Amino acid sequence: MSGTGVPSSWQSVLPYLSESLPSDRSPENPGSSGVQLNLPLELVRQSVQEREHWPIPEEVAQAYGRYRPTPLWRARNFEDAIGSRVPVYVKYEGGNISGSHKLNTALAQAYYYKKAGVRELVTGTGAGQWGTALAAACALFGLGCRVFMVESSLRRKPYRGVLMRMLGAEVLSSPSGLTRVSADHDSGRGNSLSLAIGEAVEYANTHEGTAFCIGSGETYSILHQSIIGIEAREQLAGLDGHVDAVVGAVGAGSNFGGIALPFHCSAASANTRPPMLVGAESTTAPKLTRGVFAYDKTDATGTGPLEAMYTIGSDYPIPDAHSAGLRFHGAAKVISAMRHRGDIEAMAVSQTEALEAGRQLTVSETVLAAPESGHALAAAAKLATRGSDGLRAERGVLVCVSGHGYLDLAAYEQFLNGELEDEAPAEHALMAAVSGLTPAGAPTLLPPRQTVGGPA
Amino acid sequence: MSTTEQLDRATVAEAVKRVVIAESKLSITVSEITEQEPLVGDRLRLNSLGLLGMLLRIEDELSVVLSDDLFVGRKFHVVADLVDVVLKGSEAR
Repeated sequence: MSGTGVPSSWQSVLPYLSESLPSDRSPENPGSSGVQLNLPLELVRQSVQEREHWPIPEEVAQAYGRYRPTPLWRARNFEDAIGSRVPVYVKYEGGNISGSHKLNTALAQAYYYKKAGVRELVTGTGAGQWGTALAAACALFGLGCRVFMVESSLRRKPYRGVLMRMLGAEVLSSPSGLTRVSADHDSGRGNSLSLAIGEAVEYANTHEGTAFCIGSGETYSILHQSIIGIEAREQLAGLDGHVDAVVGAVGAGSNFGGIALPFHCSAASANTRPPMLVGAESTTAPKLTRGVFAYDKTDATGTGPLEAMYTIGSDYPIPDAHSAGLRFHGAAKVISAMRHRGDIEAMAVSQTEALEAGRQLTVSETVLAAPESGHALAAAAKLATRGSDGLRAERGVLVCVSGHGYLDLAAYEQFLNGELEDEAPAEHALMAAVSGLTPAGAPTLLPPRQTVGGPA
Repeated sequence: MSTTEQLDRATVAEAVKRVVIAESKLSITVSEITEQEPLVGDRLRLNSLGLLGMLLRIEDELSVVLSDDLFVGRKFHVVADLVDVVLKGSEAR
């Protein structure tokens, strides 16, 4: 820790994986006129080298110091509201300009890209939290910023777009019609976030001085998010708090990885039993609970490498839902590999369950959680009460509230009015979406469900 | 070019050729390709993904740390392009 209470290093889980990550696979369409590198080498090193501690650059540490350490508290009123048997600790990441944890990696990435000589960053965003975070980071480091935002999200949350523009970013509704991938897009196919990302990839590939960057899923972004779990470990120790379950929401996995993986590292380092690490995903995109472990695309262009991931198929049309940040077909490769090895548990949570958990947190703790975070809260509530999916906490639960919900009040309004319905993928639709994928490993052999994890 | 520079270039060129051959999964020696060999051609078949891992292996082989501003956004066509930029990065140490 630095003198400010902000960790001085990120912590990588790579040295503590029981197996190395499966190698990425090149897409079928290699370039024909030379090769290009669009990722700073330091981010590549952070993704592949089995080095545990990575010093946080001074400029990034200073930026972190504006909003970190983020609060962690025992949510006694929430415990009462849900009838909890065990203590529930909340780590809150919504208290910065972007309103979510995404700023933790946006700042780091903007710093490294700026150092590499890039002038503009371009990205795709679902709920808009990542787009806002990147816009803020670019503003801080003097970079241009262009954001392709999923059209349905931008329509629902126009003020996300306004905030990004206030931060100097150019915001485009996706499908934009400006890129080949959007022109080729069949509106009945594919998922909207992967299309927005695909548009950003294509834009970056065709504009000099511009680089594409991504907010979740990459191993380096999960490394940057480790600051959440490192802080939480220290804060829990300061409260003499003990938990046997750590919960975060999973879109691609950076928030979950950020809160949970440092606990895996510390347990592995001390050769003790880790707490249950539980990823809370949306029933609309249930890659960890109903997906397959296979090589799949990370975006709609298919020009990037194929990664070994738990996926419901990159072409699967994910039903519309308010938690746009969770509407992604695949989990990060490091999260997927750990799930495949049985180091990570998962629960699928419906939209109405998530918003009800968010309502309970609002009324009990006066903290308004984003719908994505509501999934983690609902899973934490299940673990802390009757248990679910064979999982139950016996000592305590740590849950990360990844962001605030002030720009999601339309979702809560619909929920309070009883206007929301849940939609989960049909089995035959999932099977069709993954039928052409190459398996990434031996058939999944998840361990028997446990009812208790080890102490943190 | 001085003798020292020639030696340095030879060392770097050999290391670069060794890793591009390995990346292209070829069973040939470094003397069988020239610095004008296309990185994406009949023999070498590099892509961006391979380039990333390759640069880290070159760092290991030559015990150098390559600077990001030498690579990002730049396109590499032949072996010599890589040798030049690695040399430039090494000289900057």
